[in-house]
Amino acid sequence: MSADRHALAIDIGGTFTDIVLYDSRTGRFAAHKELTTPADPAWGVITGIRRLLSRESVEAAAVGRVVHATTLFTNALIERRGARTGLITTEGFRDTLEIGHERKYELYDLHLPLPQPLVRRARRLEARERLAPDGSVEVALEPDSVLQAADALVSQGVESAAICFLHAYANPSHEQEAASLIAARHPQLMLSLSSEVAPQIREFERSSTTVANAYIKPLAERYLNRLSEDLTALRIKSPLFMMLSNGGLTHVDEAKRVPVQLLESGPAAGALSAAFFGARSGERDLLAFDLGGTTAKLALVQDGEPHVVHRFEAGRERRFTTGSGLPLTISTVELIEIGAGGGSIAAHDALGLLKVGPRSAGSMPGPACYGRGGAHPTVTDANLLLGYLDPETFAGGTMRLDTGAAEATVGALAGEAGLSAARAAEGIHAVVNETMSAAARVHVAEQGHDARDFALLVTGGGGPLHGCELARRLGISRVICPPGAGVASALGLLLAPARVDRVATISRPLAGMDWAALEASFSAMEQDARTVIAATLGATAALSIRRGADLRFAGQGYEVVTDLPAGPYGPDSEDMIRAAFERAYELVFSRRPGVATIEMINIRVSVTGSAAEGALDPEVPETSLGEPRTGARNARFGSEEMDTPVLDRSRLPAGVEVPGPAVIEEAMSTLLVPPGARAVVEASGNIVIHLPLAVTRQGQHQHEVV
Amino acid sequence: MQQTPRRFDAVELELLWRRLISLVDEAAAALVRTSFSTLVRESYDFSCVVTDAQGQSLVQATESIPSFIGTLPETVKHFLRFFPVETLQPGDVLITNDLWLGTGHLPDITVAKPIFRNGRVVAFSASTAHAPDIGGKIRSPEPREVFEEGLQIPPMKLMRGGQADDTLVAIIRKNVRTPEQTMGDLWAQVVALDLMEERLIVLMDQAGLEDLSDLAREVQARCENAMRAAIAALPDGTYRSELQTDGLMDKPVTIRMALTITGDRIHVDYSGTDPQVDRAINCALCYTYAMTMYGVKVCTTPALPNNEGAWRPISVAAPEGCIVNPVFPASGGSRMLIGHYLPMLVFGCLGQVVPERVMAATGSPMWGMNQSGVNAAGKPYANMFFFNGGMGGNVRGDGISCLSWPSNVSSTAIEISEHIAPIRVHHKRLRPDSGGAGKHRGGLGQEILIESRSETPIAVSFLAERTIFPAFGVEGGRDGAPGVLRINGEKVDPKRQYVLQRGETVLLATPGGGGHGDPAARDPRAIEADLASGHVTDPVPYRE
Repeated sequence: MSADRHALAIDIGGTFTDIVLYDSRTGRFAAHKELTTPADPAWGVITGIRRLLSRESVEAAAVGRVVHATTLFTNALIERRGARTGLITTEGFRDTLEIGHERKYELYDLHLPLPQPLVRRARRLEARERLAPDGSVEVALEPDSVLQAADALVSQGVESAAICFLHAYANPSHEQEAASLIAARHPQLMLSLSSEVAPQIREFERSSTTVANAYIKPLAERYLNRLSEDLTALRIKSPLFMMLSNGGLTHVDEAKRVPVQLLESGPAAGALSAAFFGARSGERDLLAFDLGGTTAKLALVQDGEPHVVHRFEAGRERRFTTGSGLPLTISTVELIEIGAGGGSIAAHDALGLLKVGPRSAGSMPGPACYGRGGAHPTVTDANLLLGYLDPETFAGGTMRLDTGAAEATVGALAGEAGLSAARAAEGIHAVVNETMSAAARVHVAEQGHDARDFALLVTGGGGPLHGCELARRLGISRVICPPGAGVASALGLLLAPARVDRVATISRPLAGMDWAALEASFSAMEQDARTVIAATLGATAALSIRRGADLRFAGQGYEVVTDLPAGPYGPDSEDMIRAAFERAYELVFSRRPGVATIEMINIRVSVTGSAAEGALDPEVPETSLGEPRTGARNARFGSEEMDTPVLDRSRLPAGVEVPGPAVIEEAMSTLLVPPGARAVVEASGNIVIHLPLAVTRQGQHQHEVV
Repeated sequence: MQQTPRRFDAVELELLWRRLISLVDEAAAALVRTSFSTLVRESYDFSCVVTDAQGQSLVQATESIPSFIGTLPETVKHFLRFFPVETLQPGDVLITNDLWLGTGHLPDITVAKPIFRNGRVVAFSASTAHAPDIGGKIRSPEPREVFEEGLQIPPMKLMRGGQADDTLVAIIRKNVRTPEQTMGDLWAQVVALDLMEERLIVLMDQAGLEDLSDLAREVQARCENAMRAAIAALPDGTYRSELQTDGLMDKPVTIRMALTITGDRIHVDYSGTDPQVDRAINCALCYTYAMTMYGVKVCTTPALPNNEGAWRPISVAAPEGCIVNPVFPASGGSRMLIGHYLPMLVFGCLGQVVPERVMAATGSPMWGMNQSGVNAAGKPYANMFFFNGGMGGNVRGDGISCLSWPSNVSSTAIEISEHIAPIRVHHKRLRPDSGGAGKHRGGLGQEILIESRSETPIAVSFLAERTIFPAFGVEGGRDGAPGVLRINGEKVDPKRQYVLQRGETVLLATPGGGGHGDPAARDPRAIEADLASGHVTDPVPYRE
């Protein structure tokens, strides 16, 4: 295997394209950042790869694996830069996409902007056909009506069309028939079928997902063709794998067919990476916390795996407001975004309170201390004044911070709010931390968990700086800071298994189930998934197959996604499935209603296959010799100023314990260890901070269900 | 034990307040996850609050719908009249669904729990949620008295010292159609109370608070001052508005409002409003208050957190026995058919001084169709499906089509409806031309055609308003199209119950919103776009 022992990971973000080259024999990885080239993204990727390979003296032929994540498709949705798209739907329902849920995402605002459908009304056309809820045909598909609709779309210049018929999740035949009719007459028109893209009950969500797929499909096709050709031209012979939003990989053809599954590929890689580094410290239940300039991201990792959900919102009108985007039923790593970051602006509001964010100074002009004209006090300004940041070495020394500018803006705010300057700085730090912890607490509660049962894993420029204080507010006692957080997300790409998720709606009671039919449905989905994996990894890949179902007690409207035992199923499976559901239900809700009837709404399979290589085992960066302590400064913790040692992370060998307060610096981030805490450098390269537990858990109240 | 009141600076107050909001939101999230009620889960038809020891609200869950503004703390104050604080012990949970002490209709069950610290009540955690069923007649405007509407629970102790009252539980179970779900939701509410209690005690420990009085005074004062400042910026005077609703069809209901601004206070008086009726559209004063307050808040301080202070400067009065202050034994199950008009009346008054903050009339109250019957397997069932009309145009833009307002009830997917009920929906589409013409056009209503496929008869009843009086336009804008309800093509009285045989159809057309501003002033490009999309097919109103 030595000839192609290298793997390449490519992560295209808004500003930078991260490229990581990993040597599976030595565990060594090398990283390169190339500016993203939005007009022709493949160009930036290829340039970056060429530079990195040449720098590391690695032959293109030695690359055995290329894995890719990108935000291109998400951005196309946000910026509405997709193809001219049409929709053909069941007669009587062209407005489903526009009518939506009929709900507001904000109660008191009369000027609420709602997300506009991706397809305007004139391009939403109807065909004569009708299926019953069980999939039986009530009105046969009328071919002329389909062709007329298709002709009309093509004459409007439509390049890509979605077909979404009522109850098509129960019977795809009408959609397939329509597709072949259209393909015969308009072979150039790209088609997306709801029964393939999102075969789940609820017509608005299914239409919305299928239309989003159609909208980005031409873009995905062009871009992925181009990138594949360019990689071949570079003499990289290995196939290109694409990262899915759920943390799995797939091959390029599947990605081109259903690009809507790729929307969250970047964050998914980040979550996988967090799970990996957490596991190296023995923590399998994690809150992965990433803090950047404008946004904090939080993902849940349970039992070593990122939490995957089956809904997503794209192109939100208000970025941090749930319900303000287009609903998509894709499986995706669960993630929340909070409007808090280093650039978040602090202000004294009308109620006389100190507020931080969601308004952000961004990177231009950025915080006042960047000296680029930022006139508002930000979180970074406060951190500088609190002594947490070194003005000389910030961001790897690429920028000198202007303490005077920070003092001026924070001072002005302090005057307005009737606070001392020190109290204002400390207040900004505390308020942004409370903002993030409030969002985290509610999010974790929505998942039916308690934040105190998790460890916190911190990444991003600001994660290590705010992590311990966030943990304290959440009642979390362990914080993990992995090494070299800069390339963590791209590294996650190399960790991903090939994965195919399939879902189907069956919507029937568990009791009296037709077990043969159920088994046949599961087998068909598994077979389909295997085919995709075989095309991705080859027929010999080791597979792991998981079955699941969305189950609920009769009368409920939310289903609990439940892992089910392996098949094949028969009449004696009922008890097993019931028990699995009841366990999953109690885990989430800690109680169970006295309802006997269980309904199975959706069934799911998830097939994963591991690549031939062994597990990723990145080397721990070698520590350099020399005194780790590089100095000391006055830092403020709460109302107390303390003389705080400053340490260089690259000189801290494994096994060293650092008592707080301490500041541990590395190139792109600063780890703050508060007083009373204890940081331990592990052989894995992680630093684990143990916090004294201030919060005592109250006695758990239990109510018997009568 | 006189102590100097504790002071909080801008940072400390922000931190504590945010913690309070996050703890009620956390409890709300838990309640949503565990609830059986579709209205709780999908439409946030519930609320969680923390009050001080006197029942004065500190914080209310962010997402709860406007029906509960101010009602829940009032219920806690009523509890204190029935159960003075010295009669309460740790682990007690109080309960009621009284129409007048609660929220104006029986399905909303309120529970509250005293929170003790050092042997003394320092706060209450409380929650109201719409139960899956409360017994009585299936929801429709028909009941003539509250007795027909289901089980009434006077203020009682659901739990004493942590022990559930088995007698009460048995009575509830016997009186509702869905005992497991109704009790399941009630216990979910109790779990939410416990969660608020636990988090509040931790917060008080960490903040070194022995009681909540100083903190309560501070957060309430901040909201009160903000509301007073917003009101003071409006010119003093008495502003009047009135409107007519379909009422009992042959007998429209007139609602009259006089809104008086005096300095930093608002007083709303409903004198002159028609008397209560012997149908369930009566709107108890608690609900009248909440809906009035919602209208005022939208116009004055839309971003202000909800607590006692915010509503102190606002008083609402209505003569006893009128339709917005009915007396026992009035029925009120369909109170929104009056209540949803009330914010519009506030807009009618405040629009005279701040026209840029209001909109033309909306296609609300919400529409709904309730159906019940016996399915093929012989089991009784009942389902309620909701539909919404268009929003009014406003100074900035067109009204949104088909949006729930002032409530926030989502519609059920057609695919789900057809799964759970023996019906076929032939179309659910926008109603072209239903939005009132205007510089900014009203949002469109929608039209739904439903056919019964049931072998057995289905009983249907409706929530349907504005079939006679359309949503009015403002500033020269035209009225929206009124709603229409037809059975087998014939217009019918929406306030009555009907029986559908297999193959019979119901057509619901929800009202469009009113237009804002002179249609002649509409941007020609917007007119063209409307014609191209088919939202408008008749350009005549724009040419006059």
